[in-house]
Amino acid sequence: MSSSAALLTALPVLLLGGGLAIGLPGGRARFLAAALSQAVATGLVWLSIAPLLGGAPALEVIWTWPAPIFQIAFRVDALGAFFLAWSLPLTLLGTIYAAGYLRPYLAAGRDGGPHFALLNLTSVAFVLIYSVQNALVFLVGWELAAVAAWLLVIWDYQSQRVRFAGFNYLVSTHVGLFVLVAAFMLLHSETGSMDFAEFGAYLRAHPTALGGLPLLFGVAFALKAAFFPFHTWLPRAHAAAPAHVSALMSGVIHKAGLFGLLRFCLLGGTPPQWLGWCVLLFGAASAGFGVLYTAAQRDLKRLLGYSSTENVGIAAMGIGLGLLGWSWHHPTLIALGFGGALLHIFNHALFKCALFYAAGAVFRATHTVDLERLGGLARRLPRTAIVFAVTALAMSGLPPLNGFIGELLLYMGLFSGAAPSSEGDVVLVCAAAVLAFVGAVSALSAARAFGMAFLGAPRDPSIAASAAGAAGAAGAAGDDAPATMAAPMALHAISVVVLGVWPELALRLVEPALALFTARGPSGGAALAATLAPALWACRALALALAIAGALALRRRARRSGPTWGCGYVGATPRMQYTAASFSAQLSRLFRPVLPVLTREQLPRGTFPRDASRLGSHHVDAVERRLFEVLGQGEGFVRDASERIPEQPRFAFAAGLIALVILALIALGGGP
Amino acid sequence: MTLALANLVALATLTLLLPGLVTRVKARWAGRRGPPIWQLAYDLRRLWAKVPVYSDVTTPVFRLAPYVALVAALASAALAPMLSTAPLASFDYDFVWFAYVWGLGRVAMVLGALDTGSSFEGMGAARAATFGVLLEPALFLVAGALSLYVHLGHGATAAGHSLTALLMPRLQGGAAVTLWLACVIALVIVIQLEAARLPIEDPTTHLELTMVHEVMILDHSGPDLAALQLAGAVKLATGVSIVATLLNPWAAARPSAAGVLAHLGLCVALALALGLSESLLARVRLRAVPAYLVLAGIAGVVALLALLARSAQLGGGGAP
Repeated sequence: MSSSAALLTALPVLLLGGGLAIGLPGGRARFLAAALSQAVATGLVWLSIAPLLGGAPALEVIWTWPAPIFQIAFRVDALGAFFLAWSLPLTLLGTIYAAGYLRPYLAAGRDGGPHFALLNLTSVAFVLIYSVQNALVFLVGWELAAVAAWLLVIWDYQSQRVRFAGFNYLVSTHVGLFVLVAAFMLLHSETGSMDFAEFGAYLRAHPTALGGLPLLFGVAFALKAAFFPFHTWLPRAHAAAPAHVSALMSGVIHKAGLFGLLRFCLLGGTPPQWLGWCVLLFGAASAGFGVLYTAAQRDLKRLLGYSSTENVGIAAMGIGLGLLGWSWHHPTLIALGFGGALLHIFNHALFKCALFYAAGAVFRATHTVDLERLGGLARRLPRTAIVFAVTALAMSGLPPLNGFIGELLLYMGLFSGAAPSSEGDVVLVCAAAVLAFVGAVSALSAARAFGMAFLGAPRDPSIAASAAGAAGAAGAAGDDAPATMAAPMALHAISVVVLGVWPELALRLVEPALALFTARGPSGGAALAATLAPALWACRALALALAIAGALALRRRARRSGPTWGCGYVGATPRMQYTAASFSAQLSRLFRPVLPVLTREQLPRGTFPRDASRLGSHHVDAVERRLFEVLGQGEGFVRDASERIPEQPRFAFAAGLIALVILALIALGGGP
Repeated sequence: MTLALANLVALATLTLLLPGLVTRVKARWAGRRGPPIWQLAYDLRRLWAKVPVYSDVTTPVFRLAPYVALVAALASAALAPMLSTAPLASFDYDFVWFAYVWGLGRVAMVLGALDTGSSFEGMGAARAATFGVLLEPALFLVAGALSLYVHLGHGATAAGHSLTALLMPRLQGGAAVTLWLACVIALVIVIQLEAARLPIEDPTTHLELTMVHEVMILDHSGPDLAALQLAGAVKLATGVSIVATLLNPWAAARPSAAGVLAHLGLCVALALALGLSESLLARVRLRAVPAYLVLAGIAGVVALLALLARSAQLGGGGAP
């Protein structure tokens, strides 16, 4: 079978699997239909892209269609192949995880078929977005992914909160869609074609023709990838969705936004310098704000959601650096910037999915993801704890795990002193300082999330009690994740470690895509591996040293045990432990202007207070709050304005308005 | 080979010697005789032979944390010039690796502290993590300023962006001295935090409420405590060595007798200065510590501005 035929066969296979997942009787058969079809499709896609990842030229199939499409170009280049290479396998792992995660719902009589079919549809969307170079089909894939994700998010649709989160997501993603349609229409009106190659030829020939175009594309892709300040839908959607859906959205589906950004960077040819600076600063802002919000969240899944905003920000910093290198004709900088961005995109998919899966296992065992109520889960969920610990450390970019290498490439670019002016160099160093800040805050929130949920003693006795009951019912297996959930988690955690210790594997995946960007210069992706080699060996040596030290530490048998030293106080209870809010209190006080906090308190009154007093603090999203404020005020403004319109002479008013509009049109039409 | 061995010997000696020197100075200043100079070595040997006590609440994380911290401290020490010449290992941009490995050690200690479920240790862990957040940008601003300065062609070594190359700038002109001074100030603040010294933390205090590093190791005992104390001493030796290299006018990639002697002398002098400052200064109020740390960031910004001034002196040509 030829490579292109294999790719095209993947689509009907996925659709058939989705159809079977809805139509077959029995939950098990439905899951198997979805999972098997995805496995076959993954195999087919890999069959078709394997030569591309080896450096072969782009695949191309052109279908002629009746008007208004005329022709659809299936053109998979190395960039699309890079995204396809991991998007489908990770979706397959998510589907397998879903079988375990949804088991309690399915046992209660919910029909899982449509859910599995939607997961198949997501894979279809990936194939469309990453392999088709036609604006219309791209939009179809884009919309397919958006709607499928929305339907996946509202799995728990009985809850008002979940429905609101889903609606919020739906509106945001469609605002992005409209903007994208506008951008494509502009290009279509100029080129008379829907083909990306035509778009690219036009953009390269007229670099400054469509000034607003970068803005339109920027907004559309930023909304998709949840950049600050377009991220408001994200924390709600991630908190409301089932764990595997959050994982796939954050790790895989919304990488389509970054793909779009990279695709149009590639089509546009040599970019102007300001574009590079804008993307770099935008990415830095996204990373900085995103990470500050992770430090303050008490909902584990919201925390992980904000961390996606942070990580796409880091990837965008890489893209901005690459664009700067491109406009300065500095091949090394191009390789470091785009290479760092691509590596980070891939590594983020690996560790973020595993983190959401672990959060799902926590939810399954305790029915909450509120950090203030959790604690001591490492004893109850040892497997989940190991996965969460490893991947959380990877999330904060610490060596020797996989999150480090992408960031190291970015630092290399930012410190390289490659800018044509010293001022430029200094700004790049400041961006490196922002990246260092992001790394440190993300280490804080990783330690906080793991420490609060898994270490110490259980904070809420009611959770511990319900767990004991559930464990009794479940039998000896306890309440740790079952095999269908544990296997995908373990695979992710293992790959996080392996790619941390042996990043050449990831570099090999990135290299062909990087070659597209660096084709114009002598320094390609292969040079990256050589530049990185000493750092990689340092990571390996560190991993070895850590493994030896860890083995020695755990082997020591002789020990005694006792209670935790309470500094002389002997009446300590688990409720007195440091909480998630107190852990980040100092940091959030320092950054209060961007981290607004809502405090609800009922203080004790009188000498002998009778009513229970309480204090609750909640970090709300500053952007979303402001957005709703403006929307709310806007509603008020319209209401006031409509009240001010005189009631009686309605006809005169309307006539006047129409006359005004006509006059305005004449004035505008006659002007230019 | 000889140089690597010499680096190792210097690391071991400075690690065991510097805390003793600081303590001795403080004791003399207070009119006491003080413990032996090599007290740390005796302490480590005694602790290593003990049987550790673990809290019932803890998990294996608690047992792993001290050794992760120790490995991280040693891994970063391997990159630092211990004799103002080439270190054990170095590669381009190893200072990023250095900072992140220090971060790994910090996260390990924070997790170990949180594992005990003690609110005091949680407090210390939160402080350590927050202070780290404020310090990391300063470290990178300084590294960036020095890196660009070396890039302008003022490095003692021909090329390279390794930590050692950054610490050997050739000082030319007034702006360069400002840059160099700002970097020294920022690095001293970094050491004060990372090695848990005054004025950020009083290692001899008995009030858990005001501790940062000390309270995080409250529950560790026996060999685990030894590992943590050793890690702290290694970090102090690394930090002092880094500052000494930056101060050392004979620092060069090729070892010279003057460079090595000056380095050892500077290390001892820095330890004496630390002891003196700890005798004379009081701890900064805990609420003021973030402000003190931001000082390091400001020093980093000043270093960058000085760099701009320097490149303007060179004719605004920027990077060659």
